[in-house]
Amino acid sequence: MTWKTFNSVIVPLFILLPIILGAIKFKILPSSIKLVWYYLIVSAIINTSATIIGRVFHTNNLPLIHLYTILEGLLLISFYAQILSTSSNVKKFRFLQILFVLICISNALFFQSIYIYCSYTRPIVIIIIMILSINYFAKIFAESLDSQLPFIPIFYFNVGIFLYYSGAFMLSVFSNFTLADSNSETDYYIIWGFHAILNLIMYLIFSIGFILCKK
Amino acid sequence: MQKVTDNIFLLVLFAMIGTFILASSFIFFFLRYQRKIALQKAAMQKAEVEYSSQLLNATLLSQEEERKRIGRDLHDDVGASLSNLKMIMAQTIETDDAKLKYKPLIDNIIGTVRTISHSLSPPGLELFGLDYSLHELADNFNVAQTLNVRFENNIGTAVDELNKQTALALFRVVQELLSNTVKHAGAKNVLIQFYKENETLILKYKDDGKGMPSSQHNNYGMGMKNIEARLKMIHAFFEIETSPNNGFDIKIKIAK
Repeated sequence: MTWKTFNSVIVPLFILLPIILGAIKFKILPSSIKLVWYYLIVSAIINTSATIIGRVFHTNNLPLIHLYTILEGLLLISFYAQILSTSSNVKKFRFLQILFVLICISNALFFQSIYIYCSYTRPIVIIIIMILSINYFAKIFAESLDSQLPFIPIFYFNVGIFLYYSGAFMLSVFSNFTLADSNSETDYYIIWGFHAILNLIMYLIFSIGFILCKK
Repeated sequence: MQKVTDNIFLLVLFAMIGTFILASSFIFFFLRYQRKIALQKAAMQKAEVEYSSQLLNATLLSQEEERKRIGRDLHDDVGASLSNLKMIMAQTIETDDAKLKYKPLIDNIIGTVRTISHSLSPPGLELFGLDYSLHELADNFNVAQTLNVRFENNIGTAVDELNKQTALALFRVVQELLSNTVKHAGAKNVLIQFYKENETLILKYKDDGKGMPSSQHNNYGMGMKNIEARLKMIHAFFEIETSPNNGFDIKIKIAK
């Protein structure tokens, strides 16, 4: 098995595991976890579309990553809004979402064309998500959920998100440098291979989260 | 200026692995610390439960001691004084008419003092055991015709082999249950039974009163709380079955 197959076939297929588990339990999922499931669906659709556009039609598929960044930001901020927001700060999450969409649109219009990788907005979304994720850790620490922790599904979704985005952060920042310096295809596939491993870890942790969801 | 020849892919890979390790370590230490706190909290809770259990034991034991002392004083001092009074009055009062007036009154007071002193500290329990004391308790109710109490001991001498603390706790529980039945149940018949179920000693109490709605099961009054505390003290478990118009049934599983 080559890195290419691993990156473009095996891992993208693996997303089906949490999607199927989530679909089976969809009726009993709390609204916050449903948002994570929608996030997985969006990821799967955009990833498949990008693969078809890139490999079948040999066309630049980077506009999709701009669209994906906006949808990913909106869905994950909504997820954290559901689990972190109180009546007093719910407006702050709405404001954050609107601000993020405006930044993405401005970036696409004035700084980075939709035909190049959006290396400004991706680190921004990752930083926002990681801050929210750490906030969730702080929240459960303050609430002292202690022994129940291994059985709380949302904890697993947060851990999956935190691990994936912390690992993927550097790749997002330096992605355009790696594209510009892509003399060696193997090097290119290795770093994206590591990115795929991070994805795989996230999908597996999400799957545990879905399994733990009960009425 | 020196030319940078570093491989950008390698640098990005290192950076990715580094941040991933950092994030994993954060989660690892978070979980470890959380677990440590949870264990400390559990230990504190356990210590609190043990302390409150010891406190409860001490309170119940001192209550029993106090009851015993009051019961003995009532029996020995007040009871003896009343008997003396009765003798003196018999010698000093000459008319039959007067004797007829005071004698039943004094006899009644002596009887009441004896009943109170016995209920405070049942002498039969230490002298003859739980089986005798429960029979006596049932007889008292039957004689007074307040309730028809039937006591069945299906395990023979095993009842009297229970330790002193357990026997006293069970006696007090039955006393409390009978008092509850009289006060609240409006029952006519009560059955108290000792039997064995899979080698576990069971004390069953059943009345045919008006029972209690399920909404009140967890909202016990003082009497039921006392029962709960006494059973907890001897590590006994209990199950209650009751519903409106279907009587009250409690099954106590006694730890060996």
